[in-house]
Amino acid sequence: MRRQFVNDPEDVVPEALEGFAAAWPRHVRWNREPSYVLRAEPASDKVAVLSGGGSGHEPLHVGFVGRGMLDAAVPGAVFASPTAMQIRAASLAADTGRGVLHVVKNYTGDVLNFRIAGELLSDEGVRSDIVLVDDDLATDTDDPDGPGRRGTAAVVAVEKVCGAAAERGADLSELVELGRRVVSGSRTLSVALAAGAHPGQSRPSFELPDDRIEFGVGIHGERARERRAFGPRRALVPDMAAPLLRDLDLGRGDRLAVIVNGLGATHDLELYGLFGEVKALLEDVGISVARSLVGSYVTSLDMAGCSVTLVRADDEFLDLWDAPVSTPALTW
Amino acid sequence: MADQISPAHADLWVRGFAAAINDADDHLTDLDRRSGDGDFGTNMVTGLRRALAALPEHPDSPGAPFQALSDTFLSHSGGTSGPLFGMWFRDFAKAGHGTPALTLAGVAEAADRGWATVTRLGSAKVGDRTMVDAIAPAAESLGRSTAEGLSLEEGLRAAAEAAEAGAQGTSELLGRKGRTSYVGDAALGAPDPGAVAIGLFFRAAHASVTDGADGTR
Repeated sequence: MRRQFVNDPEDVVPEALEGFAAAWPRHVRWNREPSYVLRAEPASDKVAVLSGGGSGHEPLHVGFVGRGMLDAAVPGAVFASPTAMQIRAASLAADTGRGVLHVVKNYTGDVLNFRIAGELLSDEGVRSDIVLVDDDLATDTDDPDGPGRRGTAAVVAVEKVCGAAAERGADLSELVELGRRVVSGSRTLSVALAAGAHPGQSRPSFELPDDRIEFGVGIHGERARERRAFGPRRALVPDMAAPLLRDLDLGRGDRLAVIVNGLGATHDLELYGLFGEVKALLEDVGISVARSLVGSYVTSLDMAGCSVTLVRADDEFLDLWDAPVSTPALTW
Repeated sequence: MADQISPAHADLWVRGFAAAINDADDHLTDLDRRSGDGDFGTNMVTGLRRALAALPEHPDSPGAPFQALSDTFLSHSGGTSGPLFGMWFRDFAKAGHGTPALTLAGVAEAADRGWATVTRLGSAKVGDRTMVDAIAPAAESLGRSTAEGLSLEEGLRAAAEAAEAGAQGTSELLGRKGRTSYVGDAALGAPDPGAVAIGLFFRAAHASVTDGADGTR
């Protein structure tokens, strides 16, 4: 039995957005209908950077609206894509005349609705383009007709870096190129100790025996392809890191940004412990962890679990990563 | 018998389609339960109910009722079939804008464009067990009817028959796109609900020019 602080489950998302906007009045404002979040003080004369997706992953994406990152975020219902008209309206509101970059996690509904929004915007003379984020190694297959890898925590790196570049005046095609380069150098693996429960539901979306973990889990409460034995953290970290290193073809002398992300109900005590072990493992093989981000940024409701994301980091990436950012969820 | 689709005919077409979907709600939901997650009928009914409330009282072009339909579907559905229907209706809205009435050739062009739009955005081809399996034969039929100089009524009747036959044919197909792709051959024997809805769309088109002969209601 899971208990939650919820009134009517139908109202969970709009009530949270109302509270979010009220809590961060100097950073954001919320447009109720159609629903989107904009910077409190919109930027001028820059490409607008916008992202969106289902709710239930907070602080993603609304928490990253602010100077140095997103101009707008478009939240759908829990685990459901925003509508094309929501994305269109948010894009029109954020556009300064230099076009809109859409950062989209690779899920069928999100991709479709963002593509439709792009066509609607094009008819109205507003340029937009998509950076598709597909970093989840667990969903890598050879099927060319398949949906491809899912998008997960690498989206934070894409939003940070593209946001910084947009702030410095990059044009739309430069941002698309930059975003795609970050995506192609990013891979993530996630594991769950317990599934989350939808608002108003007393049961999690799947049950997991005490001696098992879900290995390669997604962020929408779906099961992973694989269950593995639960064991001590020091045994888990190599299992997560090794496939990522292999897939990105990383070796001695390479530089990375590492994101150790909580999936909603995992404590920072565990996450920092994980990060320390990931960093030690990488440095053991001569890979430098140039930047890091540890905390719960891309969650799956109250799922207990974590994800590890490795992102190739060149000088340009590091410079943009270090650029100032001021958002509810990320500030430096 | 009307030889062009006036704004009032387009209004009848959209209302007739909404009524047909409403009548078929349980059937569509049952079909979707066999191939997907069982919410297709309800989602269509909800979408159409909202669209009916948004229909202009005095449409100024035959595109206007379709525009209301399209906007509603694109505003309220973050899934996949709802937005694709929204874009399908949108090509009928575009075809009907700025013209007093749509000819059979105009309908054929809208269907052709809609076919291209749904294929481009949904990446589904004929044979994938989707709405495209009803759209393609209807669009092809409309093209032939236009070339052969058939009347509006004859052309729309042939399109409805082609769409319905295409929809029925999906019973024999394995799903490769959308949720159906997850259930495999469990869906065999039942047509795809999206394709069935396209059949109802063209049946409503035909009825709008026969039932409301002068386009009034």
